[in-house]
Amino acid sequence: MTVPLGAYVVVSTVLFFIGCAGVLVRRNAVVILMCVELMLNAANLALVAFSRKYGSIDERGSVFVIFVFVIAAAEVAVGLGIVLSAYRNRPVVNVDEIHQMKG
Amino acid sequence: MTYDFVEPVVFALLSIGLIAGGVAVVMLNRITAAALLMAFTFLCMAGMFVLLGAETIALFQVLIYVGAITVLILYGVMFTRFSDRPRALFFQRQTPLAAVFVAAVAIPVAIVALSFTSPTPRPGGGDLVPLATSVFTDFAFPFEIASVLLLAAMVGAIVLTKRDDPGESALRRRR
Repeated sequence: MTVPLGAYVVVSTVLFFIGCAGVLVRRNAVVILMCVELMLNAANLALVAFSRKYGSIDERGSVFVIFVFVIAAAEVAVGLGIVLSAYRNRPVVNVDEIHQMKG
Repeated sequence: MTYDFVEPVVFALLSIGLIAGGVAVVMLNRITAAALLMAFTFLCMAGMFVLLGAETIALFQVLIYVGAITVLILYGVMFTRFSDRPRALFFQRQTPLAAVFVAAVAIPVAIVALSFTSPTPRPGGGDLVPLATSVFTDFAFPFEIASVLLLAAMVGAIVLTKRDDPGESALRRRR
């Protein structure tokens, strides 16, 4: 027997909500970035699962996973740059203490 | 004797690894341990992709996530100070309300997720050739846009973290 598609979707959903809870609950900016990565990975799992089980032969869904990889790499680079430059101005990484940009 | 039981067992082990790793990333106070467990979660996800028959995606997963992003995050951990207050929002008065909201979101999501059924088993074979065919024919323009995005992100990260130290630049000028 093969694993049904619903099982992959359930695991993807659970991982996405774990990452979402991490973004809401943690206050360290680096940990928040890690939790965003978890959410992107969960979306990747759903994309690949649907592409392999449902999709046409030319793997359209997996192409989007490649683009998600690109977006994730760019997001981590720019996000860590923002965290490090904010940290250099004032040595805090708690996101509720970083409020220089509040209007 | 067939080996039909292997796929569900491997799937169960990988799911346990994924969910336990994700919970540990959210719950652990030591940030270095959380980052390494995030790498473990990414490895489990690569195993999931192999189980789905998407070997190329699994290869990219290991290269980009386990290799590049984890190292980048570890550098970010090393450059910043450990924070005293790791969590918030726990044990507040809104807990019952939040539980109701979570149930209202989670139950429909679970019903929809479990209602998907696999129509037909796909034929075997790797995913490299169809993936590359799609990327370089139908998705060639987004592919180029993605490369421009990566260039912009690289320049942006350099500009954001560049140190504008007047003493250092004066030293460089004198040299």
